[in-house]
Amino acid sequence: MFQSFKAIFYKDFAAFFRSGNAYIILGIYAVLSFASAFYFGGYFSLDNTSLISFFYFQPDILTVLLPAVTMRSWADEYRLGTIEYLLTQPINYAVAVWAKYCATCLFGLLMLAMTLPLWLTSSFLINLDNLNIFSAYLACFLTVCTFCALGCAVSAFNKNTVIAYIITIFVLWGVYSINLDFLLTSTQQFSDEVFAKVIRSLNFSKHYQDVISGQIGLDNLIYFLTLIFPALWVNVVALDYKKQ
Amino acid sequence: MIVAKNLSKSFKNIKAVDDVNFCIKKGEVVALLGPNGAGKTTLMRLLTGYLQQDSGEVSVYGFNIAENREDALRKIAYVPENAPLYPEMSVYEYLRFAGSQRGLENDDLNINLAEAASQMQLSSVFNQRIDTLSKGYRHRTAVAGALIHKPRILILDEPTEGLDPNQKQDMRAFIRHYGEKNIVIVSTHIMEEVENVASRILLMNKGKLISDTTPVSLQNLYPDKNMSEAFRLMTSEK
Repeated sequence: MFQSFKAIFYKDFAAFFRSGNAYIILGIYAVLSFASAFYFGGYFSLDNTSLISFFYFQPDILTVLLPAVTMRSWADEYRLGTIEYLLTQPINYAVAVWAKYCATCLFGLLMLAMTLPLWLTSSFLINLDNLNIFSAYLACFLTVCTFCALGCAVSAFNKNTVIAYIITIFVLWGVYSINLDFLLTSTQQFSDEVFAKVIRSLNFSKHYQDVISGQIGLDNLIYFLTLIFPALWVNVVALDYKKQ
Repeated sequence: MIVAKNLSKSFKNIKAVDDVNFCIKKGEVVALLGPNGAGKTTLMRLLTGYLQQDSGEVSVYGFNIAENREDALRKIAYVPENAPLYPEMSVYEYLRFAGSQRGLENDDLNINLAEAASQMQLSSVFNQRIDTLSKGYRHRTAVAGALIHKPRILILDEPTEGLDPNQKQDMRAFIRHYGEKNIVIVSTHIMEEVENVASRILLMNKGKLISDTTPVSLQNLYPDKNMSEAFRLMTSEK
């Protein structure tokens, strides 16, 4: 089983570079990240001990770029017809889903690694709160893992990579910008504390802000995991559905 | 041995495969014959577990494909129509991937890879990217990928589609040779191919298995007709 996982994982990860897409995505990501930090984030004017000017825009950038990473994972298999080859191999569907998902996550990690020179360079200029920055990178990685899981699931339902890209952006934007706090004000008389907690816990930005500010808690991890695992499950279901 | 029992599959209101029964044993080269839309590809997809049957069962060397999918698929290799491949890989990378998928490692992988490549005469394009290969070489690469774990059952959907006459000849010779010690199931609607390679014919029409015969018996059924005419008579609307 591990051998099959390794084979699909390596195939998918290498495919980013073989097709040349990797270099374009990495390049655009680096430009957008640094440009947002320097020009829009106020890198030189803010108290930047935790590089907040850089991390603040990461979910927006990842919302646009990660769909370009995940859109091919299943949609391309359908387009090329290789899905028929892949799914007639003696491999559990869940293993194939995990392998493809991990390949996209590793690519996401590589994207984040491209920005490490900013951390390094800034550390020569000012006194940084390194623990906080590490926590912020963790927030970005959790965001990458979540967005990749959602992107792969969308890709599993589409034969067209462009459609997969557009739908994924829409889904990620929905997840990222969901904020149901207005329900709390409109139902203030009836809602109890538990309801308020549930509503607040659905807010992506709240969890992201918690983690980048170094206040990572179990509720943050649970939030991200409750998005990742169901998305992967939906991915397996999508493959199973194709058998019908 | 591969056994299909009361196998049926519908897509909405269309019965693609309708109560099909057969048993294929080692040493048989079976031509799955029928006009377009007869249900050949659907039947192959059912045999390989790519599609789930509505009723009936498929058993591969004792393993039910619905219950023991992975065990059953270890014995099967399937090359779908048009031999889909990953265009950005080289032939060598593809064969390595195919071998790794089948759990081959180190020396086993290298030996089987070299053997499959030599069987399909791929040495001259070994390091070439798949998207730069001719259709014939692509097809051979797909078959080499299928052969890498030495499957006991080889299923080929229209294996000579798009090949030039020499390549067709080579592919047919290979199928005959491989079928001596294994099971080969070939889907086709080319009668010349059936005469050339098959030891048995499963003739399908509108999802039903209308005849389970041999090329000789089919010929004897219509002694004054050639194979193509016999095929036309058996599958025509009238």
